Amino acid sequence: MAATTSSTSSSDPSPGPEPEPESKPNRSSRKRRTEPVDNPEEELVLGSAPADAEDGDDGDSEDSEDSVYSGLEDSGSDSDDSDPESGDEDRPEETCKDEGDVALDTEVQTEKNLEPQKDEYEQDSSDEEDIRNTVGNIPMEWYADFPHIGYDLDGKKILKPIRTKDELDQFLNKMEDPDFWKTVQDKQTGQDMVLTEQQVALVNRLQKGQFGDVNFNEHEPSVDFFTHEVMIHPVTNRPSDKRSFIPSLIEKEKVSKLVHAIKMGWIKPRRTQDDSRGRYYDLWASEEQGKTRDMRMHVPAPRAALPGHEESYNPPPEYLMTDEERAVWEQQDPIDRKLPFVPRKFSCLRHVPAFERFIHERFDRCLDLYLCPRQRKMRVNVNPEDLIPKLPRPRDLQPFPTTQAMVMTYPHVSPVGFWSLFWGDDGTARFWEVSSGRCLKKVEVGGAIKSAVWNPNHNLSLVALSVGSVVLLVSPPSTAADKQVVTATERLLSDEVEPAAGEGPVVWSNAEGEELHQGIRMKIQHPKPVTQVTWHSKGDYLAAVMPDHSSHLQVLIHQVSKRRSQNPFSKNKGLVQSVAFHPIRPYFLLATQRSVRIYNLLKQELSKKLQGNAKWISSLAVHPAGDNVICGSYDCRLSWFDLDLSTKPYKTLRHHRKAVRSVAFHRSYPLFASASDDGSVIVCHGTVFSDLLQNPLIVPVKVLKGHVITHDLGVLDVTFHPSQPWVFSSGADGTIRLFT
Amino acid sequence: MSQLQTRFFTEDKRYVVDDVPFSIPAGSEIQDLSNVINKLLEAKNASHKKVDFDFLVKGLFLRTTLSTHMETEGISTEDVVEIEYVEKITAPEPEECMMHDDWISSVHADTECKNLTSLLLTASLDHTVILWEWNSEKNKVKARHCCRGHTGSVDTVATDPTGTKFCSGSWDKMLKIWSAVPTDEADEIEEPADRPRKKQKTQQLGLTRTPIMTLSGHNEAVSSALWIDSDEVCTASWDHTIRIWDVESGIMKTTLTGSKVFNSISYSPLCRRLASGSTDRHIRLWDPRTKDGALVLLNLTSHTGWVTAVKWAPSNEHQLVSGSLDNLVKLWDTRSCKAPLYDLAAHEDKVFCADWTEGGLMLSGGADNKLYSYKYSPCQTDAGA
Repeated sequence: MAATTSSTSSSDPSPGPEPEPESKPNRSSRKRRTEPVDNPEEELVLGSAPADAEDGDDGDSEDSEDSVYSGLEDSGSDSDDSDPESGDEDRPEETCKDEGDVALDTEVQTEKNLEPQKDEYEQDSSDEEDIRNTVGNIPMEWYADFPHIGYDLDGKKILKPIRTKDELDQFLNKMEDPDFWKTVQDKQTGQDMVLTEQQVALVNRLQKGQFGDVNFNEHEPSVDFFTHEVMIHPVTNRPSDKRSFIPSLIEKEKVSKLVHAIKMGWIKPRRTQDDSRGRYYDLWASEEQGKTRDMRMHVPAPRAALPGHEESYNPPPEYLMTDEERAVWEQQDPIDRKLPFVPRKFSCLRHVPAFERFIHERFDRCLDLYLCPRQRKMRVNVNPEDLIPKLPRPRDLQPFPTTQAMVMTYPHVSPVGFWSLFWGDDGTARFWEVSSGRCLKKVEVGGAIKSAVWNPNHNLSLVALSVGSVVLLVSPPSTAADKQVVTATERLLSDEVEPAAGEGPVVWSNAEGEELHQGIRMKIQHPKPVTQVTWHSKGDYLAAVMPDHSSHLQVLIHQVSKRRSQNPFSKNKGLVQSVAFHPIRPYFLLATQRSVRIYNLLKQELSKKLQGNAKWISSLAVHPAGDNVICGSYDCRLSWFDLDLSTKPYKTLRHHRKAVRSVAFHRSYPLFASASDDGSVIVCHGTVFSDLLQNPLIVPVKVLKGHVITHDLGVLDVTFHPSQPWVFSSGADGTIRLFT
Repeated sequence: MSQLQTRFFTEDKRYVVDDVPFSIPAGSEIQDLSNVINKLLEAKNASHKKVDFDFLVKGLFLRTTLSTHMETEGISTEDVVEIEYVEKITAPEPEECMMHDDWISSVHADTECKNLTSLLLTASLDHTVILWEWNSEKNKVKARHCCRGHTGSVDTVATDPTGTKFCSGSWDKMLKIWSAVPTDEADEIEEPADRPRKKQKTQQLGLTRTPIMTLSGHNEAVSSALWIDSDEVCTASWDHTIRIWDVESGIMKTTLTGSKVFNSISYSPLCRRLASGSTDRHIRLWDPRTKDGALVLLNLTSHTGWVTAVKWAPSNEHQLVSGSLDNLVKLWDTRSCKAPLYDLAAHEDKVFCADWTEGGLMLSGGADNKLYSYKYSPCQTDAGA
């Protein structure tokens, strides 16, 4: 019976308690469970005695006992199979039967019979006891070429089971044997063995990831043996040992030994690592310079524009295109379009169709990323305060005119000191007292006066007026000047010099009769209307401007003492706007539309040509020191030229919003003023330093307003008081205002 | 509203109240304080008539509420506040308007009309000063002397306190001292030699007189001159300076430098201060005794145009009158420098001159050809002063 069972393990359901889930090859193929599968517990209870009943084989039962005794189940096996069946059911089922060595069986039987009552060994599960193949845990392939598979305890060879099954047998086996699916081969012994139901169940459980033991409760309530809370009392109340208070002699001994060894030089201190680079060092110090710089100069890719309202599915109506806009949009080149799409409105989001331009848009974006110039813009961080030039505060630059002091209703003004001269289109020139604003003399000239200038020479009291094509020399009221001055003027005018008549286009004549009584002394008849007259600072020469595009006869210089006139220019250089004599040197300044020419009167040549970037120069004024010139132009600018510096403007002031009509320098104070069509007069401080290296200091100090703009004309003329920091301005509104 | 401890006192004997501290609401104004004083006076004197008072806290007129005034002036409200009260200066009343034929450029009031004849000085644009004799009975003037010497228009004349000399300032930057005694019927020696004018003046007004002394130093026209005492002349000029000259020795003693052109100055012997009117709206007070410097004691700012005339009150050390190109005449008290006491808006054009009379009149003339006189009651303040 035993032989049959052993030989045909497949037929025998081996009820072994030992699960062999992994079917460990090196073991337990010998274990033949002959016990019935159904009640292993009962057998357990019964112990080893009744084992024969079912098997019909005492040897088997004893064998099983033996196996229990010898700890077969764990022999050569991993510890895990013993774990799940650490329960009681293990012991009785050690009924494996080793068919391979009958002799062994008998041996074991005898042993077993010797001590049937030793219950304590039932629990024993020693590892080595039951190993019948003593080769140990080696790869069984090593015995592949041998007829045996190992050695038993007595050193005899364990022969390999005869395996003569060919494929056909195997197939038949498979077909006929219902237990074929649970038949495994024990690699160590080479036997086939059939897994019991329990073993199969165990395998199934483990495959599911469950515990092998059915009864194991993995969710047992945990028992807090030691509470996690900090207790105020010690767990044990045992007093400390005395030895914990006294120094340990053994330690002292050890320490003294170490000290002695150190002293003797047997123990050397641990060598410190020779670390010249320091503990922390720049890991990338030796890295290439360019590489890191490139990394630092990372230029981020341009950002995609954020979507706007017009891209909404429900944009506000102002974002929707009107029909005209739409037509324009359709006609435009795609590149020129402001929007690449037409904003559309949908009642709800689900009506929005697919965006057909998606690929285009992505492609454009990729192009942007690919083609964008990866160049870092050097942004200069400058404090805006630093860009403002350090200029003194206007308050420190007193005095300058600040408030309007007097308003007189008359068109033009030309003040000299105590007196001011007003002239205008109604054909009269009037002399006013500045301090009271009283008109003291009125001279009828019978025509619109275009220009009037006082003679700058203090020893002469004379005024030049231009009326139409006549220049009049008028003597102011006799009380306006010292008697000696008056007599000097008289002498100059009454000298009987024969005018060099006939040669030029100019006719000199002395006034007579009523005109003489009014104060008109001399008339100089010009061929064309005169717009401007200017005195030389010595008071003898007088320049008259007759602007004419076509003629070279635009400027005439008269000499009063000799009654002589000359035309200094033989060529027409453009429309003459304004002329001026240089206050110190024999220069003559002539402003045409675009440039200012400076002629040397002695050498009769052009010495300099100032090129302002003005389109149409309106007026010209020379600094009393003679090195600086200001030009006002109809394109709202005022250019300051430093004659020593360059022919380009040293500074261009664009304070006015409309055309600059007139500019003026103060004779003694560092002030200049400009009058503009925007109705304002701007007074600037302009210090010229005697040190040639220092540039002029130009500070705008005051905007004087008061004139009313009439017919788009604001302030027409501006003049300084010769000694006080006062400025007279005459406006198109027919008033003269004095600002002090 | 908090209360302030105040004590009232006055220099005016008629209105003295007991020297006891009072607790006054801090928000009280002039009218409230005035009522308080009147109540006190009534309690003391049953026959008292109601009088309006003005109040001075630490020498400054109270113009707002007491608390704001003390806040702005930085006076502690913890202590007892001493408040002086004076009778309110009544508003000057326009009395007379005298029409003239032309602009009035200067006005001068004189009290010495005892004699039948008095002397007048006129300065002119024709570079001369003429000394006239005015017979008040016949109401005739006669030119006694024609003072020649200036080479510019003469802008200002002033006689010295004794009446024997006068000074004149001119556009030609000179200050000249002349004799004002007309008794010399005999000619002053004129130097006709240096004037060989073929065109002699047609009618010679009076006898020609030459200056005793010429003082030069100003860089611009002398616009105003006055005598501080019998040997000191003060001049104001367009060159932004006020200079004080010693007439005896003919040297300049002090220069006060301003920043603007001076049109007019006035000196008060009572408070020994100079008041100047300049082309920038401000009236400035100077102390002529400071040696050199530009120390402005006080700025009186209310005008909007050039100040053309300033004049101290002859009998009150605090008051002055000013005329300006903004057509206004203003009466000032130096104790209230922020605002004038009264604006006299009678003129319709520029005001050029202003003066006081001893008899309690203020005069002002201007470009509207009118000479206004204002009745001014100085009697109470006289008592106070």
